Amino acid sequence: MNAPSVVLDDLERDAMTELVNIGVSRAAASLRTMVGQQVMLSVPSLEVVSRATAAVLVREREPDSLVVVRQDFTGAFYGQALLIFPETNSLELVRAVTGGLLSADEAAGMEDEALAETANVVLSNCLATLANMLERPLEMSLPQVMRGEAARLFDVSPSLAADAVVLFLYINFAIDDRNIRGYIAMLLDLPSLEALRSLIRSFISRIVGEGVPPP
Amino acid sequence: MTPPDAGRSPTIQLASGSWIWDVASDVLHADARFASLTGLDPIVAVAGAPGARFFEGVVPEDLLRVKIAVAAVMRGAESFARTYRVRDAEGVVRWVSARGRGESDASGKVVRFSGELADVTELKRVEEQLRVAQNAGGVGTFEHIDGFGTATVSDQFCRLLGLQPSTALPMRTINSVVCPDNPPIIQGADFSGAGPGGYSELRIRRADTGEERWIARRGEHRADNVGGGPSFIGVIYDITETKHTEEKLQELTRTLEARVQERTRERDRIWNLSLDLIAVVGRDGALRSVNPAWSLLLGYEEGVLLGRPLAEFVHPEDHLVVARALAAQAPAEHVDLRLRDAKSAWRQIDWTFVPEGDALYATGRDVTERRQLEDQLRQSQKMEAVGQLTGGIAHDFNNMLTGIMAGLELARRRIEAGRSPEAFRFMDGAVASAERAAALTHRLLAFSRRQTLDPQSVDVGELVLSMEDLLRRTLGERVALAVASSPDLWPARCDANQLESALLNLAINARDAMPDGGKLTIECVTQSLNQPHPSQPEPIQPGDYVVVSVSDTGVGMPDSVKAKVFDPFFTTKPIGKGTGLGLSMVYGFVRQSGGHVGISSKSGIGTTVKLYLPRLTGRPPQQGVSPDGAGPVLRATGEGVLVVEDDVQVKLMISAALADIGYRVLEAVDANEALEILKGGEAFDLLITDVGLPGMNGRQLAELARQLRPQLPVLFVTGYAANVSVRADFLEAGMHMITKPFSVEALATAVRESLKGSPSLRAKRSDPSS
Repeated sequence: MNAPSVVLDDLERDAMTELVNIGVSRAAASLRTMVGQQVMLSVPSLEVVSRATAAVLVREREPDSLVVVRQDFTGAFYGQALLIFPETNSLELVRAVTGGLLSADEAAGMEDEALAETANVVLSNCLATLANMLERPLEMSLPQVMRGEAARLFDVSPSLAADAVVLFLYINFAIDDRNIRGYIAMLLDLPSLEALRSLIRSFISRIVGEGVPPP
Repeated sequence: MTPPDAGRSPTIQLASGSWIWDVASDVLHADARFASLTGLDPIVAVAGAPGARFFEGVVPEDLLRVKIAVAAVMRGAESFARTYRVRDAEGVVRWVSARGRGESDASGKVVRFSGELADVTELKRVEEQLRVAQNAGGVGTFEHIDGFGTATVSDQFCRLLGLQPSTALPMRTINSVVCPDNPPIIQGADFSGAGPGGYSELRIRRADTGEERWIARRGEHRADNVGGGPSFIGVIYDITETKHTEEKLQELTRTLEARVQERTRERDRIWNLSLDLIAVVGRDGALRSVNPAWSLLLGYEEGVLLGRPLAEFVHPEDHLVVARALAAQAPAEHVDLRLRDAKSAWRQIDWTFVPEGDALYATGRDVTERRQLEDQLRQSQKMEAVGQLTGGIAHDFNNMLTGIMAGLELARRRIEAGRSPEAFRFMDGAVASAERAAALTHRLLAFSRRQTLDPQSVDVGELVLSMEDLLRRTLGERVALAVASSPDLWPARCDANQLESALLNLAINARDAMPDGGKLTIECVTQSLNQPHPSQPEPIQPGDYVVVSVSDTGVGMPDSVKAKVFDPFFTTKPIGKGTGLGLSMVYGFVRQSGGHVGISSKSGIGTTVKLYLPRLTGRPPQQGVSPDGAGPVLRATGEGVLVVEDDVQVKLMISAALADIGYRVLEAVDANEALEILKGGEAFDLLITDVGLPGMNGRQLAELARQLRPQLPVLFVTGYAANVSVRADFLEAGMHMITKPFSVEALATAVRESLKGSPSLRAKRSDPSS
């Protein structure tokens, strides 16, 4: 697989995973407030891959059509954040989020809106957490819903150089005892990844020294 | 790239420890199992310890990772899942899996962090072993629980198919790499297409490179799975190399057949096109297979030949040769057989027989024309040599005749002139010429093997020693002579005069082969042979021999010359220098004596000729009348002699000579006239007859005469006679022989000797009245 020239080491990857983990945990808290149901979100792992590889990964793992919600962000580093669901899962998610208050037709009718809203909660929390934890402000665009094949998903922004990398994260939704799988992908160009990495390093040195007794 | 706990939820081992970390008061409560896994004092753990004791026992390499994860929980992360190493209460490093949860209050402040800690050392080890095994063996594993859209797979599984490493993949993705018309890699429990043992071989197109590979899949359907429904679990591995080898083998087998066919076609073509006869012959002699050349050359169709014995087509005189060839264990070349063709003409075929198993493989080349040409060539060579020889002889004879004729003519003139005494000189000259002519004819007869031999007991050693002076003179000063003879030499049976002549001949040849001088060795030994002794030009047959070997140190001769050296007229000497009869005479004489001649020669080393003379057994043969018998011509006393001779001149001479001596001579020109005289009852005491008479020959006449007049003495006169070569075998008691040409003296002696046995004369002598 086209390994990016800048890669995160184990520790940095762990830290990044935890940063997103904090983000989705906050999102889960927001969703719980919104829908009044038990919502758990977790991010078990992260892979740093090239854009092409990311497309292959998604195509191989999700051969069906996908629903993607996208938000651009700019700041100390910039790029796009994508929340990806298999299309079949998206309706499930909508129903779960709306707590069975809507009929199937109604749910289908407001699917895009519900998805965009849900994704907005997840992505906003993640990006906000990143900005907060890394102590750098990030500005976010409005969420945008897209449907289609995996190959096209990572071709979204001509502003990103061809050598852009993708931070590819699994995300498990557990809503109302339903398990829905999805992915969070962050497209970054190399300077942004480099910037992100140095911020992660600072974050690590901050948190290990804080409230943790020396080994 | 993937953390150890990525996407996995390792089965929590029994007896996992648990912890509750009260963040607000920073007190950690843990159970005894947690304490024993982390080395924390169990009493302290249960009673409550500072939160930081959560990191107790974590090995330094993993500590930072754990701290980051815990820090995340403290900042709001709700899930905690890490696998790391701790040193337990006994100091043993163990892998543990920690699963925990952070809880916050309504304001979002983290208040509690709790979870369970399980020992997964064994699991890690098994996983590691499995991973190594999969990588080393190139084996990928999968497990699919019925009804699910995805299957759990190993990294190696993904690599084999060219997919990005993953712990779980959709069935569609997995099966999409399979080429059309091949079974899917993973199939549901209801799928019945799997072979026995769930084994399938299938062609895939790798997802990453598009390369086609062969994959073997071996799987098992499990009725039930822990925590799931029925499952299909198994392995895949690459068998492309094996398949390629298999395909190559198949290709090889297929082309082998084609190659064999091609070869067979080639062989068939040779079989069909060959002009030589080719046949497979059974040991029983039956023809099993024949090629088309048989019909081409001999005119027989295949059907006529198959199953018939080869011998049926072979000249009866060659049947023994066929039988020998059929029984042979080793290949035989140049087996000459005459085969009868469809038109009953004989073809000379030169065969090669190669026995193999119960059959012989035979090829035969038609050499009829070649043999005929060879014969013709030989004949023409012979004729050329005869021409040369007769020319030379005619020349010699003319010289001699000139001497005779001139001598007689001159003698007659002297007598007519009354000068008789002067006539003697010329007459002596004529006689000398005649004697030379006689010697020449003698030599010719020896060459033709039609000389009359007079085999006697010969002490070869003595004979050779007696010739030493003569040989030395003949050889000249430049050639040394050594003569050796073993002391206990057997007596040999041969004609002494001819042996002398043969040795002289060999000595002259040896001298000519040593132009720059050398050494001639003559050795005499005895030799007994129990079996044929290989030799040139022919093997020596078993028997007792007195061997005379004549060796020179001369130029020797190449094999091509050696092969022909005994052929009549063969000579290496310039035309006019030799007749080519020398060695042929030697050969003729020895063979006629019942012996053999052997020759060995090396170019530049020299030549040895060995004469194998038969040992004399039993009594010595009867002494014949010496043709050269001399002595005073005694007067006869009117004894009656019947002379039968077809040559008028010879008859005249004999009659005149005998009448001169005092015999009463009767004459007849052939056997019929002679028989009339015999029947007429006219008295005579001796029959003198030429052997070679027209019509009835002299020998037959003698037999009839003996019937009429038993014990009638007979004196045969012969120039040569094919049937009288060995005197002793030809002559009965009371029979004698004289060889032409002869002197009057010799004739007189022979007649006198013959008359000694006459019964009529004995009667006369015993009669006192006569």
